Amino acid sequence: MINKIFSILEKEIKIELSQGHLFFSVLLYIVSSTYVIYLSFQPSGLFDMETWVSIFWVLILYGSITSVSKSFFQESSKRNFYYYYVYSADELILSKLIYNFLFLICMSSFTFIIFSFLLGDIIISKTFFLSLLILGSFSISNCLTLISAISYQVENNSLIISILGFPVILPILLILIRISKISSIDFSWNLIRDDIYLLILLNVILLSLTKVLFSYLWRN
Amino acid sequence: MRFIKPLCILLLTYTFTAGYLFEVPALPILNETIRALYLHVPMWFTMIFLLLLSSFHSYRYVSNGNILHDMKSYNFAHIGVYFGILGLLTGMVWARYTWGTFWTNDPKLNGSAIGLLIYFGYFILRSSIDDESKRGKISSVYNVFSFSMLIPLIFILPRLTDSLHPGNGGNPGFNVYDMNSQLRLVFYPAVTGFILLGLWISDIRLKMLKLNQK
Repeated sequence: MINKIFSILEKEIKIELSQGHLFFSVLLYIVSSTYVIYLSFQPSGLFDMETWVSIFWVLILYGSITSVSKSFFQESSKRNFYYYYVYSADELILSKLIYNFLFLICMSSFTFIIFSFLLGDIIISKTFFLSLLILGSFSISNCLTLISAISYQVENNSLIISILGFPVILPILLILIRISKISSIDFSWNLIRDDIYLLILLNVILLSLTKVLFSYLWRN
Repeated sequence: MRFIKPLCILLLTYTFTAGYLFEVPALPILNETIRALYLHVPMWFTMIFLLLLSSFHSYRYVSNGNILHDMKSYNFAHIGVYFGILGLLTGMVWARYTWGTFWTNDPKLNGSAIGLLIYFGYFILRSSIDDESKRGKISSVYNVFSFSMLIPLIFILPRLTDSLHPGNGGNPGFNVYDMNSQLRLVFYPAVTGFILLGLWISDIRLKMLKLNQK
């Protein structure tokens, strides 16, 4: 099973590297929106920590919706037929989850670099914030992968994924915003312990639901 | 079903007479608006109950593929959302007289509004697929998935932050309601009555859906 998952992952990454346009288009999307934010806060600049953190996560949300939705849409229907015969549903969804997770880590750390460069470096405990980015990409990919699989089956899907995705992802996003506000002051385990536990609990629920429900979805 | 109708009528008649006539604790700010508790809170209980039934039937549908379960799940979600809208409206009127505004940045308000957005998304998802069995399968998967996100949104997240609602901000649930025995005397029958009313309405609407399909 692990071999099969890795073979799908390897194929995805090879396609991504040879084409390259998806990753770079997402990066360009991030850069241009950050620039829009930067210019709209001129001339006084953005000093408020809360605004910084909120805009950062909202941008991550939009970027991840555009990138995760591609993970199913970019497959042709012929290739999906092929997958249907060769791989089981569990293998496919796990590889998609891992792929989206890796993609979102790259995207969010890039966003962090661009944000600190243009909008001011306000995060004090950087190691904590980076580990939060990893946890955040993990949660967002868990949440959006099944939603993108659902909207893949619907005709006008680019709109559907945002309608379905936004309300579902909101609890996770709220927790992430709240934790990251702490990281701009200083790291303190006591302040964030409950939130981290809740986030891990939500991830466990999301992962198990994704695994169970995708097999039903894949069967048609 | 035979017991539901008379019991529902009995309980709701009791709620609407006893709710207006019985003595309530005289609290500052709240005053007589405390009677809104009998209307506002049961709406949410009913909504959660009906949505729970809806996601349960969705799960049944994806596991055995009987189209009746899909119909039931859609029906329960539909009625549940109506109760949610009523809960929001009654809460807004109550908030106008106690907190001074229709809408505040309260985690519970935001949570329930987002919960309604989830179900509006569910209806749009349903209406955008034509094929019946495909529609049932996809929307059922979304229903189960989103209901499990609704629970932390309404029940867990508000407890972690400060809220104007009682029972939040780390406080235990029901003690802080200031529910003395006088309030409980009407509150519990009201909750049961409205849940039964929700079941009754969904039963009638399910019959209509079945007739429409024939």
